[in-house]
Amino acid sequence: MTESKTLTGGALLFEVLQEHGVQHVFGYPGGAIMPIYDALYDSEVKHFLCRHEQGAAFSAVGYARAAGTVGVCLATSGPGATNLITGLADALADSIPVVAITGQVPTAAMGSDAFQEIDIFGLSLACTKHSFQVTDINDLEKVLYQAFEIALEGRQGPVLVDIPKDIQLAAVNERFDKLAHLQNKVNLPLADISKALDLLTHAKQPILYVGGGVGMANAITEVRDFANKTGMPCVSTLKGLGAINPDNENYLGMLGMHGTKAANIAVQESDLLVVVGARFDDRVTGKLDEFAPNAKVIHFDIDTAEINKRREADAAILGDLKGNLPLLTMDLDISAWQQTIQQNKADCAWRYDHPGESIYAPAVLNTISNLMPANTCVTTDVGQHQMWAAQHMDFDDPCNFLTSGGMGTMGFGLPAAIGAQISRPHDTVIAVSGDGSIMMNVQEFATIKRYQIPVKTVLIDNEKLGMVRQWQDLFFAGRLSETDLSDNPDFIMLATAFDIKAKLITKKSEIDAAVKEMLDHDGPYLLQVKIDAAENVWPLVPPNTANDKMMESV
Amino acid sequence: MSSMTLNKYQLIIMADDRQVVLERILQVTRYRGFLINGMNAEVNTGNNVATITMSVSSDRPISLLVDQINKLIDIKGVEVDHSAEEIQQAI
Repeated sequence: MTESKTLTGGALLFEVLQEHGVQHVFGYPGGAIMPIYDALYDSEVKHFLCRHEQGAAFSAVGYARAAGTVGVCLATSGPGATNLITGLADALADSIPVVAITGQVPTAAMGSDAFQEIDIFGLSLACTKHSFQVTDINDLEKVLYQAFEIALEGRQGPVLVDIPKDIQLAAVNERFDKLAHLQNKVNLPLADISKALDLLTHAKQPILYVGGGVGMANAITEVRDFANKTGMPCVSTLKGLGAINPDNENYLGMLGMHGTKAANIAVQESDLLVVVGARFDDRVTGKLDEFAPNAKVIHFDIDTAEINKRREADAAILGDLKGNLPLLTMDLDISAWQQTIQQNKADCAWRYDHPGESIYAPAVLNTISNLMPANTCVTTDVGQHQMWAAQHMDFDDPCNFLTSGGMGTMGFGLPAAIGAQISRPHDTVIAVSGDGSIMMNVQEFATIKRYQIPVKTVLIDNEKLGMVRQWQDLFFAGRLSETDLSDNPDFIMLATAFDIKAKLITKKSEIDAAVKEMLDHDGPYLLQVKIDAAENVWPLVPPNTANDKMMESV
Repeated sequence: MSSMTLNKYQLIIMADDRQVVLERILQVTRYRGFLINGMNAEVNTGNNVATITMSVSSDRPISLLVDQINKLIDIKGVEVDHSAEEIQQAI
């Protein structure tokens, strides 16, 4: 006769994760989360040991974004929990569904300044969509269910569940009735469809302004149908890249601070903005008072708080984009506007015939874009390389371009690529990074080594914190304060130490062969690309300036 | 010394009486640029619903704060008492 094993809080966690289809989690063990890691030992959930909790959080974000699912990360109390915060803030800013589990000191020790005790519940308020602290074992299952539901419902976001050690160890007495409705809150006010239809039919120079909400609403088909049927010229935010087919003749690329000239001019001249899943971010609008000054606005969003937050909407359509956008999909007679747009697009096309033998970063990124297999997922860090990737690489789905948009977090790219590769093992994953950013989470090369994760890292190396250096040159009289990185480590030696094949290129004649070698390599690979430290990202809209007053050179 | 017009509002917030709901409201209020001039909170122990009245002032539109408080998971509803009057306040 066998005795049934007692279900502990720790074991219940993995049971609930599996009930939500979670196969992979990212984390780092420690004292206050040991019962959960003990339960992991018997679980079918696969754990990836990252080398820093921030790496675990970003891997969870990358996993969620690449696969369109919830990412899960684990950390112990105190410093383990605080190390998650940047990742959670990043997930909040970019509306990414993540469930973070933190261990906490036992309930009896809470509030006593115990070893590795921090009020992560309090710290979570500003960097999560919602958070819980479980102080009764009988609440644990329901809280975990709520965490997943809240992370995914409406505007998605990160949820933290803090579980004291005694709750992890406690026997589960009562099970949660999964059929009971959880009564979480979704606001779906009525849509102003008739007003929007009126605006649309009278517009002569409309623009479709596409944001990251399109991919998260799973409304790519509907947005492309709208763009095709109306023939409306389209622009994209950084996070919206991939939502519009890059081959669309009326697609002008990214708008905003480093947007294309054609996109920014078109928006400034428009008489109607149809805004889908975007939020008039300051990096998009430039000087807000002068952004699209003659345009009416139709604003589609799932989040009530985004309507009228930075720009008054003439028609607000709240709710599910997938259901609402088809209501406005119609033929428009805007051929004159389309011709102007297409002529501007041709006049402003990128050029890659850079003089000299040195490597022009946009050219190498464009080459990678042209040679990479279909459905390749590209992640970036933050800085010049990020903007060059956004400008010069083409993506056919937002889940194939993962970049830290709202928070602009250096150190995002490598661990996000690890998460993306775990979620999509059969797709190529490329992390485009810079020599500043890569060092922010360089320890994650050890995660790549441990699991032989075949992430390709493209390191755009100018021995500078390039974007800050660019701004110092342009706006701070060339006073280059703390942006020199000429004492970087030997990146080839560094990669080799992690069993990662690596190659350095310095001349443009080496680009094609090196990119092919990287893409053909079965395992992890680092391609270090030396570029001229003086290269700037153009165009650039200076701060507090209208988008049509962009700089195109020094 | 500069001066600006601060509008004063009274909010009536209904919330589930859950962990740190008051902290969440205070954090959002501060972050979104509103000063708290006074508040009162009571809980109906029968239905575990808290009623929070809060007077705030800011040069920003009150809809900004109402929308952000409404996004909090434990909030059941937010109403503005429009009888509050505009005041001039030296900063």
